Amino acid sequence: MDTSVATLLLVDDDPSITSQVGAFLERAGYRVHCEANGARALERVRTLRPDLVVLDVLLPGMDGRAVLRALRAAGDRRPVILLTKVGKASERALALEEGADDYLNKPFSSRELLARIAAVLRRARADPVPLSSAWRLAAGRLILDRRARRAVLDGATLAVKPKTLALLEYFMTHPDELLTRERLLNDVWGWDYPAGQRTVDTRVAELRRALGDDAERPAFIETAPNEGYRFIASVRVEP
Amino acid sequence: MIRRLLVSLIPLAVCLPAAAGVELLAPDLQVLQLRVSIGWVLILLGLAASFFLVFLFLLYWLHLRRVGQALEAEQQVRTEAHDRFLKQLDHELKNPLTGLRAAVENLEDSASADPLPAVLPDIRLQVERMVHLTGDLRKLAELDDIPLELGAVNLEELAGDIVEAIRTQPLGAGRDIRMVFPRVPWPLSPVMADEDLLGSAFYNLVENALKYSRPEDVVEIRAAEHDRVIHVEIADTGPGIPAEDLPRIFEELYRGSNARERSGSGLGLALVKRIIERHGGTVSVHSRRDGATGSIFTVRLPAGNPAEPITKR
Repeated sequence: MDTSVATLLLVDDDPSITSQVGAFLERAGYRVHCEANGARALERVRTLRPDLVVLDVLLPGMDGRAVLRALRAAGDRRPVILLTKVGKASERALALEEGADDYLNKPFSSRELLARIAAVLRRARADPVPLSSAWRLAAGRLILDRRARRAVLDGATLAVKPKTLALLEYFMTHPDELLTRERLLNDVWGWDYPAGQRTVDTRVAELRRALGDDAERPAFIETAPNEGYRFIASVRVEP
Repeated sequence: MIRRLLVSLIPLAVCLPAAAGVELLAPDLQVLQLRVSIGWVLILLGLAASFFLVFLFLLYWLHLRRVGQALEAEQQVRTEAHDRFLKQLDHELKNPLTGLRAAVENLEDSASADPLPAVLPDIRLQVERMVHLTGDLRKLAELDDIPLELGAVNLEELAGDIVEAIRTQPLGAGRDIRMVFPRVPWPLSPVMADEDLLGSAFYNLVENALKYSRPEDVVEIRAAEHDRVIHVEIADTGPGIPAEDLPRIFEELYRGSNARERSGSGLGLALVKRIIERHGGTVSVHSRRDGATGSIFTVRLPAGNPAEPITKR
């Protein structure tokens, strides 16, 4: 299946978003359908069978999270990107728990949404079970238990700070994606400020030390010069 | 309270010696043929007056306390309403901003065919400014209940990293930024802090010092420790802050007369204040507009356990 003909359902009750973001995604080559009401969106997913749903959290009729839960409860595993307004860490964890494939905080850039859609679609094609909704992930000798907030390498628990573990979690749920420092700061820390670049580098260095990963010849985290980082080990869902 | 009690005892204190004097000088004097001596009458009068005054003061005190409590409750309601307002403002701004951002991006991308409207970069800049504002509003709301990831933070290293980072920005390039940290006979104690949060607060202060001074001005970051309190000062030789702005510059969205023509969300110092307060510290400012002009922002933080125990003699 070619990306250029993928069908998207964009659900948001604000017409300025559906019209402008919809137009942007259409020009990028997607077929875009819009819906402004939660309950109707759920119906529309069943009839339209889109390749991906972009779902706002605050919706009339039925809350975006409720729509997502209803989809997952019915065994529908199609990729969903949640649009959230609150960027709190707890909210982010919740979005993943409810089975979203990715989430984006408003006000987001359409270019960023486009990149996320492409990445989620690529991941969904490679593996129908989304990494983001799995409780246990494995990459080679590394196992991440998200419920227990614990990472185990060769049978030994990694001694890292909570934020560093959150960073590892983000890397492992977004493998093979170029993650800019700015995006990591926004999504993992919820804080972005110019000196934050240094914060990301410090944490990545801590993570690499814990993983015994050589920055020159990495097995897990690769540096993309002047751009950011990429988790290069292949990640699978651990039963 | 104690002073008022003493005041109420005055009648008794006056009547007692008077009664004693009367008893001593004229023990046989009687009032209106009653069989009670004047001394006793005076003592009883004094006691009654004192009790009456104590009673009055107690009533007054109870009234004051009730008024105080009501004021406090009102203040609390106002603070909560204020926080709620900031959160709502944040929410209400986000949808239109997302739409605006997408509209600008649509225009930018379709510009290959038509000539690019000249105002587009301006609109883009203003939209990004608003995006920045909503980001700061969210942080401010989040700071009340975000969990701190505490660790021993070496402030000299943190300040060094910040200076290094800010020198890579256009604002800090080529500027005279000095660091004065104690080394002799021992270095500064570390502070127990969330390094990322504290770093963003100090970054903000250094950024402000650079932003509100001229390129030839000096910025100095210095620290000292007194009685287990660490004082970090971010000082500059800039033009100083007008006196009427000083009491309000840590308020949300307050823009002093210096700040009006400069970019920024108006939330930077409010963020700094909340971050420092969450760490059990305080932040204050001194500024001079004539003579040796400039501003000093002072952050006070409780010292954590020193890496090497220092024995005091």
